[in-house]
Amino acid sequence: MTFQDLIFKLQQFWAANGCLIQQPLDLEVGAGTSHPETLLRVLGPAHWNVAYVQPSRRPDDGRFGENPNRLFKHHQFQVILKPSPDEVQDLYLQSLEACGINPRQHDIRFEEDNWESPTLGAWGIGWQVLFDGLEITQFTYFQQVGGIDLSPIACEITYGLERIAMALQKVDNVYDLEWAPGVTYREVRLREEIEQSKYVFGHVDGVSGEEFATHHRDLFERHYVFGQKLLGSVLVWPALEECLKCSHLFNILDSSGSIGVTERTAYILRVRHLAVAIARAYYESIKPVEVEQA
Amino acid sequence: MDRELLIEIGVEEVPASWLPSLTTQLADVASAQLRAARLNVDGPVESWTTPRRLTVRVHRVAERQTDLEEVLNGPPVSAARGADGQFTPSAIGFARKNGVDPEALEEIDTPKGRYLAVRKRQRGKASVDALPDVMTGLLRGLAFPKSMNWDAWLDDGKGDFRFGRPVRWLLFLYGGRVVPYDIRRAESAQSPLVQDVRSGATTYGHRFLTTSGRAGRAVKVKTFDDYKARLLEHFVVLEREDRRERIARDLEVHAVRLGGRVHRAAAGQAGLLDEVPDLVEWPSVVAGVFPAEFLALPEEVLTTTMIHHQHYFPVVDDQGRLKAAFLAVTNVEVEKPELISRNSERVLTARLRDAQFFWNADRKVTLEDRIGRLDTILFHKKLGSYKAKAERVERLAEWIAREALAKPAEAASAAKAGRLAKADLGTDLVREFTELQGTMGGIYAREEGLPEAVWKAIYYHYLPVAVEPEAPPTRAQLGAGAICWAAVSIADKLDTLVGLFSAGERPTGSRDPYGLRRQAHGLFRTLVDLPDLTGLSVRPTVGALIAAVQRELPLDEVARTALTAFLAERLTYVLEQRGYDVRNVRAVLAGRPLGQISPLEARRMLEVLPEFTGTPEFQQLATAFKRVKNIASGELGPGPGAITTGPGPVSDPYSVLHEPAELALVAELTRRQPVIERVLDSGDHYRQAFAEAAAFGPFVDRFFADVFVMVEDPALRQARLHLMASLSRLILRLADISEIVPQSES
Repeated sequence: MTFQDLIFKLQQFWAANGCLIQQPLDLEVGAGTSHPETLLRVLGPAHWNVAYVQPSRRPDDGRFGENPNRLFKHHQFQVILKPSPDEVQDLYLQSLEACGINPRQHDIRFEEDNWESPTLGAWGIGWQVLFDGLEITQFTYFQQVGGIDLSPIACEITYGLERIAMALQKVDNVYDLEWAPGVTYREVRLREEIEQSKYVFGHVDGVSGEEFATHHRDLFERHYVFGQKLLGSVLVWPALEECLKCSHLFNILDSSGSIGVTERTAYILRVRHLAVAIARAYYESIKPVEVEQA
Repeated sequence: MDRELLIEIGVEEVPASWLPSLTTQLADVASAQLRAARLNVDGPVESWTTPRRLTVRVHRVAERQTDLEEVLNGPPVSAARGADGQFTPSAIGFARKNGVDPEALEEIDTPKGRYLAVRKRQRGKASVDALPDVMTGLLRGLAFPKSMNWDAWLDDGKGDFRFGRPVRWLLFLYGGRVVPYDIRRAESAQSPLVQDVRSGATTYGHRFLTTSGRAGRAVKVKTFDDYKARLLEHFVVLEREDRRERIARDLEVHAVRLGGRVHRAAAGQAGLLDEVPDLVEWPSVVAGVFPAEFLALPEEVLTTTMIHHQHYFPVVDDQGRLKAAFLAVTNVEVEKPELISRNSERVLTARLRDAQFFWNADRKVTLEDRIGRLDTILFHKKLGSYKAKAERVERLAEWIAREALAKPAEAASAAKAGRLAKADLGTDLVREFTELQGTMGGIYAREEGLPEAVWKAIYYHYLPVAVEPEAPPTRAQLGAGAICWAAVSIADKLDTLVGLFSAGERPTGSRDPYGLRRQAHGLFRTLVDLPDLTGLSVRPTVGALIAAVQRELPLDEVARTALTAFLAERLTYVLEQRGYDVRNVRAVLAGRPLGQISPLEARRMLEVLPEFTGTPEFQQLATAFKRVKNIASGELGPGPGAITTGPGPVSDPYSVLHEPAELALVAELTRRQPVIERVLDSGDHYRQAFAEAAAFGPFVDRFFADVFVMVEDPALRQARLHLMASLSRLILRLADISEIVPQSES
């Protein structure tokens, strides 16, 4: 099964099980959770089932293309089910079967792994799913987002696509994956990994560490201030995008070692502040729907 | 006729670490609920857990609740009848309210007099009607370290029902019949795919190994024996002990096949073998290997990767050296275990390759050069970064070695180790393997060629974390690094404790996010065992140590009070855990303010105190000492300094005394005080000090029998008060022995 086949199979499976197939958020994010289809849609009473691929950037995990398991950018397949169906674990296992994994011939476990994102004011209860000892999925019952209790509870299933593909294709190096027939992951992504790693770790000719930091701090400020203005007009979607840009810029500042400890905490608090305000603004704006339904 | 009660709460996978407590809770809560429901049971309330089921079985539960008899009081008898002998309206009203004829009312005696009363018998309900309340009590009564909202509620008027994980089925049988019960689902979540959980006679087998292949095949059962047998047929071993034995046996077989045995860290108590039975329902073992090149990594890295990250059992050869092999416990039984082996090997190899990469990269930068980078790692927002902490610990460790431990020759090494102790927080390996902090720093220091004293001090500085005398580190492990280690370990813990209290952090109830209790336990364990761990006999007081930290981290009055109370409580705990009598511990710690106490001195006293507490003289003194203290505390201000020696001083405070009993006590005090003080100052021979103190017993007794302290004559009264105060001060330097009075007499 090629990398792209894996995506097709998951999309087909979840579409057949009532999910709308969305597209990735066209911004730099660290995880599928940041996509408004998750971050905003899990709030409020409306039932909502959606699935999408999300390329996810983790500057800190950049390894210049030299590490067989770590990537600056990997791909998540994200499923949100609200409310969470009673048989959600079985549905998940069926999805693995659809990808060609026979659960009776492998050791599949649900081991405790709760999720928390201080910058999003969000947390949930759940597991990491282990496939013969390899973590292939994060499974979370969201409890709060933006400091708001969820009702009903949404279930988030996040598949690590590279890991599952490596297990299915039995390769030890992510770059050896077959993305499409005859095309390797290396051909598709290696150069990007090398160049992005150099960038986020500040290996840029003629740019001093100070200049690198100033540029990103400056961008952070501009996006932050503008995000607050957008929020002032209850333009929730654009405000969220500004917030996510800030979050990514912070990650770059952090991985390039541009910020000290006190500053680091201050940055995290600011992102959290904006993210929570956005979640609240969205929640307030959908309340009338709730009243209508009641 | 009594019948069997069988309950199984079918759950989505519950964390393994919760199961031991849940097993106990299930039986306890179910017993309490049955009792509260007035349902008599015959035989024990038994319980079992697996990751997917919480089971309770009671061999026999009565068919009906016991009847409830209530006596309700009405008006007093004096107001029951009028002058005409007829019932008064209030008596008639009371009877009517309770649905009985006034003639049927009884008269009963109460502490307030004789009252009319009605005796109501409420006939017990059939058990099948009472059991739903037991279920509600059980579901609500189980406590989880973390509970979740899963859109559920119960019909008991309390609404929302949080639980450790979602409940998927409920087996609820009494005498083989289903007791109807529903866990409701929130309206906001209601949909064809979200339904109430309705009790039934059905359990489910293993998630994968039964033919339906998913949630496990539904299996109808009637009795517990049937239930247990059918579960086994469907690949679920209900008994935890059976699962553990199977695992231990399989591990042994596979280890022998690999030409070795299971690593002791994994096989021992509280090791991996105690954890894996709670991760599986149908255990079996598969073996795997990894490339031998990784054996060049430090053993700690290999075992941590295998045990903590992958739950794999490392295998060692006859000499105890790691082999390039591991054993994994799986939750399935498959046709081709080699498939699982290969995948497991791939995962482990990838992790080890990462570790190897970090190991090689980390060694390119010295620990000293990493100190600067600690600036980006936060210790606490009010206390700054780990760089600031490293610098504080460096100065404090230097002072402790030089002054508190009186080993100036070790001061430079202690300073260096203190400075470098946290440097490994900036290494990639520790970022990946946080449980190896300290350990890796020590290993990197060794690789850099730093002296044994320094690298061992770093390696072990997080220890001890347990309070038992045999808990690591041992004198043998510490070797030449013992004194340096003690200085750094004490300095780090003091810095954390004083620092966090000064920043307003306090452990409360079950919340102790910074692990301050553990820090305090480690600190006191080290101070209590200082001679055993380091060979030193110094006895630093808590106060001297805290004062040294306060030069760096000032404490305000509120924080100081809170810290003192906290430390006193923790020192009490540590000493009690060491098996010393609770009353003796309280006595030894209550004699003086915490600051003046040396934990080692407290231990030495506690070692000899039991030899005296049973003697009649000591009991005499203990009983009288409370009075001595009470009288002494009434005396204003400290007495003149000249009271300690015999004849000679210009103003002998006791010159006005004349009763033989008081003169005798003065003589005793004059004779014994220097002996006791000498012992206390030398810090040894506490046996002698207590013997001297106990000898006061008969004299104090006689004093109270013959002498009245609070006489009119001010000079005489003052002299007697002074005598009491001197005696009290002297004894309190040993212990507040009034704490040792047997419970019945105090």
